[in-house]
Amino acid sequence: MFKKAFKVFICLAILLLPLLFSKMARAGDEIKEYEPNCTYEEYEKTYLDFYGSSTQEMAEEGNPADLMLDDGEELFKTVAGTRGKSCASCHGENGEKLKGVAARYPKYDPAIKGINTIAYQINRCRVEKMGAKPLKYESYDQLALTLYVKSLSNGMPINVSIDGPARPFYEKGKKFYYTRMGQWNFSCALCHVKYACKRVRTNLMSPNRHHADHWPSYRLKWGKAGSLQRRFRGCMKNMRAKPLPYQSEEYRNLELYLTYQANGLPLEVPGMRM
Amino acid sequence: MPRKRGLSGGVFFVTILMVVSLIGGFSYASSKVEEGRKIATTRKLGNCVSCHFLPNIESPGNAGPNLVESMKNYTEADRDIVRQWIEDPRQFNPDTLMPPFGANKILTKEQIDAVVEYLYSLKGVK
Ligand code: HEC
Ligand code: HEC
Repeated sequence: MFKKAFKVFICLAILLLPLLFSKMARAGDEIKEYEPNCTYEEYEKTYLDFYGSSTQEMAEEGNPADLMLDDGEELFKTVAGTRGKSCASCHGENGEKLKGVAARYPKYDPAIKGINTIAYQINRCRVEKMGAKPLKYESYDQLALTLYVKSLSNGMPINVSIDGPARPFYEKGKKFYYTRMGQWNFSCALCHVKYACKRVRTNLMSPNRHHADHWPSYRLKWGKAGSLQRRFRGCMKNMRAKPLPYQSEEYRNLELYLTYQANGLPLEVPGMRM
Repeated sequence: MPRKRGLSGGVFFVTILMVVSLIGGFSYASSKVEEGRKIATTRKLGNCVSCHFLPNIESPGNAGPNLVESMKNYTEADRDIVRQWIEDPRQFNPDTLMPPFGANKILTKEQIDAVVEYLYSLKGVK
């Protein structure tokens, strides 16, 4: 009797063992987020102490990328492709139907079963709705259109959703953010959460709260405007990791993760950075 | 007499040998220190100064501790620990920002030896 019970117990244990392991594996997949090393307000103070106010003053003199907004508006109204349409044909002469839309991007799109960004959607409209060629990412026209469309939501609070079908993509973005890469073995989260407000030589690392509220931005180092994903590529090169292509699935997920960190802040494009 | 001369000749020879090897040892050590200093302060090599304070460096980073201060806490018996920090600091702190210089082959074993030698030379500083 006792022997039999023991046998049953062993069999059950063997049967249940894989379940236990799979549960452990899943627990291991969960990423423990770091406590940010500083608030954004503390970062701004540290920034002023270390670099002084010269970048602030420069920004007050005007943002060179403001000029791109006019070009973006013009492109928005320009017919392109085989179907005789412009963006304005569908979205209103002054883009009125797009007001507030960019504040909810990136977002899950069932048509692509993944995350859609403004830059990505612009090319999808061109190809699928206008019969036009996609614009090369980071080209002047791509950036100008993205800037114009996002500027229609300027001042509105960022409000991206990570609920429902967006959730797994948000988790993937987060995982990417916490993954160590490249010869230096850094992760995004190490520099921008755990060690934020510390300096690597003269580079002061910012906490990520305001990382996604101002792109495309004019960057002094580039001497022109660029996208958030160009910044991703730059940081990955600094990590001695191989940068990924623009609008790759990974970068769209990452953009969702980072934009969610900026939820509640007003969208303000174009930004300006060192 | 011949015996004594032989002896003093021997002593002389041994003394010369000792002096030569001492000088050699010192200059070997000091050239190691210099090599280590170069590695620690050169961007393309160890670039330790990007995160750590080291003497005579303009605007070192502050992500890691001041290594002159850190070295005060390490004795000669701790050489292996210091070496391990550079080899792979994740064994002390899995979430460290410091790169695993040995494990990721950023520096060779010889280069790490030189850096350890340099760090120990800092024990005299301030
Ligand atoms: C070794 C440190 C380091 C790592 C690792 C790193 N960054 Fe950065 N990053 C910086 C520094 C320094 C800057 C410029 C100063 C600042 O704004 O933080 C910067 C700037 C940025 C900005 C612009 C912030 C702004 O407000 O304009 C973004 C976005 C960004 N990083 C994202 C990332 C992502 C995503 C990753 C990982 C793929 C990453 N970073 C990895 C150091 C790092
Ligand atoms: C990107 C940043 C970074 C670089 C580059 C770096 N370190 Fe570090 N180091 C750290 C941090 C941060 C710590 C503190 C431990 C921690 O937080 O994990 C540390 C700790 C140490 C310690 C232990 C200090 C103590 O108080 O016990 C030693 C020794 C050390 N580093 C040596 C070096 C040497 C030598 C180099 C270059 C070959 C180097 N580090 C490069 C970030 C860095």
